[in-house]
Amino acid sequence: MNSAEFEQENQPRWQRLEEMIEGVEKGRAPENVEELPTLFRQTCHDLSIAQHRIFGMGLVERLNNLAIRGFRTLERRAGGGWESLFRMILVKFPKMVRAEWRLFWFCSFIFWGPFLAFAIWTPHDPEWAMSLLGPETMVSLETMYGEHTSPQDFIREEYGSDFMMFCHYINNNVGIDLRTFAGGLLGGVGALLILLFNGLQLGASTGYIHHACNPSTFYSFTSGHSAPELIGIVISGMAGMRLGLALLIPGLHDRKTALVLGGRKAMTLITGAVTMTFLAACIEGFWSAHPMEPWIKYTFGGVVWLITISYLALCGRRVADET
Amino acid sequence: MAAAELTDTLQAVELADGVEIHLRVAGPAVRSVAWLIDFLILIVCYIVVGIIFVIVSRWTGDEIGQGLMMLCMFLLTWFYNVVFEVGAKGASPGQRSMGLKVAGVSGAPVLLSQSIIRNLLRVIDFLPFGYLLGLVCCLFTKKFQRLGDLVANTVVIYSGKKKNLIAPPKVNAEPSAPPVALSREEQAALLLFVERALQWSDARKIELSNVLEPLTGATGMSGLSRLAGMTLWLQNRGRK
Repeated sequence: MNSAEFEQENQPRWQRLEEMIEGVEKGRAPENVEELPTLFRQTCHDLSIAQHRIFGMGLVERLNNLAIRGFRTLERRAGGGWESLFRMILVKFPKMVRAEWRLFWFCSFIFWGPFLAFAIWTPHDPEWAMSLLGPETMVSLETMYGEHTSPQDFIREEYGSDFMMFCHYINNNVGIDLRTFAGGLLGGVGALLILLFNGLQLGASTGYIHHACNPSTFYSFTSGHSAPELIGIVISGMAGMRLGLALLIPGLHDRKTALVLGGRKAMTLITGAVTMTFLAACIEGFWSAHPMEPWIKYTFGGVVWLITISYLALCGRRVADET
Repeated sequence: MAAAELTDTLQAVELADGVEIHLRVAGPAVRSVAWLIDFLILIVCYIVVGIIFVIVSRWTGDEIGQGLMMLCMFLLTWFYNVVFEVGAKGASPGQRSMGLKVAGVSGAPVLLSQSIIRNLLRVIDFLPFGYLLGLVCCLFTKKFQRLGDLVANTVVIYSGKKKNLIAPPKVNAEPSAPPVALSREEQAALLLFVERALQWSDARKIELSNVLEPLTGATGMSGLSRLAGMTLWLQNRGRK
């Protein structure tokens, strides 16, 4: 059989497959769609024959394209949609954080170490923190939390400013999370630097507020959203480090495979971290700035910390591992 | 066809069904053009979003308008490509206009998680400026993958929807068996020669067929026609 005869004999089948694929691509369910896998497999077989017998570039290319399109049509997934997202957040993510507990403590240390050091040291010797923060930050800290402010003041007065600040926190804080994750690909260095810098900056701010402002204004503002926000950035650091470590210490796999596998884990971590930061932005936008007795704010903050920690420590424990 | 693998951007992939398909991966040059188009579209989007929210904030007040604008900027910056890549076409508008699409390394449609990873890691590929790291990475990987593609396990391929099938050229020659048995690769070389001959001038065809003088035993026009006869014989599987 030569190329032309082969083409003539099988042409109708290819045409049917092509029409079927076009139908599916357009979202219709063509007639006899259950035959699609069979037709696809037969066409794959035709492709092998055409390749083996060197039936010309045009024919092989046509069959090759048809096989790719058929494969893509069969491989289409409806996607788990919301269900898989919930499963990710309620089960996979907290499990992954617990499984990567070494990374969690390492990144926590990188973030909280400089934070606490600066927060505790600055009230005694504010010079370092002041040179790190710079005059502009100090002025804005003093206008928000200065000595003459009290927790009962309106921090935002204009209509709609809650919503604007919410969007600002999304843009800024989630952006930082995503950059921390991406920065991890540089052997972990980028993620670590961002964690370290944020730890320093926040620690210096806290210390400076103890030195020159009214700490109770500051704490009643931040207590509510601090848990998901601060743990969120530590976890996005973990996601970045997962990528970096896959590159540096691929272990049993070759480096490329290790990167792909590490990327999947990191994806779960960063999804969770972004969700936490999103919740933090909701609290920070719509709750934290409202004037209320400090004890209400502190109680709320304590509850959020408790919920966050028990979520990460307990959620999904009873669900068996996916194989 | 060992030589073809070295000179072509065709990547052989073996599917679960045991059949081998070839993906034509796209190189850095065409991808840069696609990126440039997307970049211009993004700039236009930013400007349009800016104008819309200036108008919207007349009704909602400055603060809400500004907030919405920040939200839109955030989504555009991080998720512009993702939305299009997981869509039906599997390609951003820029890629589509260059006939490209994003796929998993096996040619399967790109998954949401893969698309998110490869686009979040753009910030790294962009370093130190103008996608230099991504370019270097592309040039050192067999499938032209930038770092984001490596982690997400994706490739950018030509979507290959061109329908203009070139009819195999008619050869006017007397079919004749080659004087010696040819290996598969040699047969393939002869058959490809005839298929591509349409693109060349007569002088070039003769020049190339002269190389085969040991096989045809002749040079010039007669060498070429003997060569054509042999390919005809091969195409007809040895029948007259």
